[in-house]
Amino acid sequence: MDIVVNVEGLKKNYGKIQALRGISFHINKGEIFALIGPNGAGKTTTLRIIATLLSPSEGRVKVLDYDLKKEPEKIRESISYLPEEAGAYRNLKGIEYLSFMAKFYSPDPKDIEKFLERAKGIAELGDRLNDKIGTYSKGMTRKLLLARALMTRPLLTILDEPTSGLDVINSLEVREIIKRYVKEGTSVLLSSHNMLEIEFLSDRVALIDKGIILDVGTPKELKEKYNASNLEEVFREVVR
Amino acid sequence: MRKFINLLRKEVKELITFQLIISLVFTFLLFSFMGDIMKREMRRASSSQTVYILDLDHSSLSKKVINNLAFFNLKISLLEKKDKEEAIEYANKNNINFLLIIPENFEKSILRFEGREIESYSFIRSFSMSSTSTSGVINYIISAINRVISDDLLKSKVPNIDPQELKNPVKNKEFVVVKNKTAQGSPQEVLNFVYSQSIFLPVILMMIIIYSSQMVISAMAMEKENKTLETLLTVPINRRDIVLAKMLSSGFIGLISAGIYMMGFKIYIGEFINKVPTSTQLSTVIQELGLSLTTQGYIILGVSLFLAILCALSMAIILGVLAEDLKTAQGLIILIIFPTMVPYFLSIFSDINSFSLPAKIIVWLIPFSHPFLALQNILLGNYIPILYGILYMVLVFAILVIIATRIFSSDRILIMKLQFRRLRR
Repeated sequence: MDIVVNVEGLKKNYGKIQALRGISFHINKGEIFALIGPNGAGKTTTLRIIATLLSPSEGRVKVLDYDLKKEPEKIRESISYLPEEAGAYRNLKGIEYLSFMAKFYSPDPKDIEKFLERAKGIAELGDRLNDKIGTYSKGMTRKLLLARALMTRPLLTILDEPTSGLDVINSLEVREIIKRYVKEGTSVLLSSHNMLEIEFLSDRVALIDKGIILDVGTPKELKEKYNASNLEEVFREVVR
Repeated sequence: MRKFINLLRKEVKELITFQLIISLVFTFLLFSFMGDIMKREMRRASSSQTVYILDLDHSSLSKKVINNLAFFNLKISLLEKKDKEEAIEYANKNNINFLLIIPENFEKSILRFEGREIESYSFIRSFSMSSTSTSGVINYIISAINRVISDDLLKSKVPNIDPQELKNPVKNKEFVVVKNKTAQGSPQEVLNFVYSQSIFLPVILMMIIIYSSQMVISAMAMEKENKTLETLLTVPINRRDIVLAKMLSSGFIGLISAGIYMMGFKIYIGEFINKVPTSTQLSTVIQELGLSLTTQGYIILGVSLFLAILCALSMAIILGVLAEDLKTAQGLIILIIFPTMVPYFLSIFSDINSFSLPAKIIVWLIPFSHPFLALQNILLGNYIPILYGILYMVLVFAILVIIATRIFSSDRILIMKLQFRRLRR
């Protein structure tokens, strides 16, 4: 299985509003694939559909060889999703939250222990994991959630604006975590409107605007194609 | 099951907050404190009152009246003052509450059947419960004096007949009939007893429904606001289990909270309830009429209560989905509070059987009405309406759970909020 996600002619309507107008793309195994575009372009809708939260209005989506409409439960066993600006249960301690989430992925206490050890390594929160999440800063919460998303070694990790709302230092740390841990076999679908972040993280990029994918390629290919020095310039050229 | 228990534990942990514990302890202490004050006031009000009397007549009749008043649970104290003004001034200075002045020529006028006024003075020094409840003391004293004098007069005129036989030649032998059972006793006492035994039920039910529903709606709103729901919906767990875990945890915490509130409430209201006499005779009447709850009655009532709570919780889950944030959630709770309050007040202040058919149907359609009506029906042995009520609540609960699970299993869990937001715009 070299293709982890295959999307063909995906459309999504909210009543009369067309959020996605027939997009197609695929994600290869071990690849970081990014959707970039302005607010309201359809990035989050695409991610939510692949994360089994929303159902497509039209089109075909296969995740890990499972049909999204027919077998969403199977897909959920092998993916993890981190929504934009997500929070965690404020009344739980960090370690309790990780343990709570880990128990959904394995009944074996040894596996759960491994997940937690991995999560501790990713989050690097030390003793603060024994404190209630309500006392965490935004950056700490984000690291905890990222650790939660990556600890079970999912085959596909979906990250929506992973550094949204974070300061420079925390953003850098989160990016490094993603880069470091995805190389262990997981594939990543991420969205951002921070083009520089995408250029740093992604293997391939899809440019999306008003529910349509305008172009797909590696950052290098796209920059060469549009004779641009960075992805921001590429995007400007594409939407022109 | 393992995943469900994991989820259930998390839900319970999330609900037991420091604020919840503080609020429960505070409310319990508040009720206990209020109950204690109430108890003291009631004790003061029911204690025997001291009545000061200025006898300006000094006749044998006035002395007889004064002596006999002691038999009516009144403490009598005679004032030795030369006139009314001096007695009033003395009473004012010495915090005396009741003063009676027997005028001169009292005996003469009475024996001539001319009628005579006794001046009574009540000194109001506060407006507390004990002060208001002692306002009837004067009437009680006057009626006691009248009784003493009339008995005395009747005895002197018709010495061979008991004055009571003359004054009340007809006596009431009271019987109470409930369905096909008859027992000798006072209907007022029977009604008071049943009322005192069942007063807690509507309060408990209302509290549990409102408390648990509020928890579910708030928990849902918090999940949406913090976007933890989106994460939860992508983990490998059945969506129905998410719905049930939220309902069960809130029901459990709601039950405990209501229990603690009720303990406090019982302390508070206990003093009023204890006023209802439960003599051996009354107990026999209650038993003869079958008005005490049997084990079977408790089970039926429990089933009815439980189903009403489940209906409220499933309704709260659906409303919680609509709530965009905690603030909206607090507004939406009114949609559960209102239909709970209607049967609550109806059960306390009126009888649904006296309603017109359309009004009855409206009450029956509210699922929370049935446990409020169940107690009365159990005591009266009307099991058919209870059964219909239970079946109706099972049906409503099943429909609501199906709706809730469908919402959770589809886009609606996220989109309903969007549509709601659009509507508000």
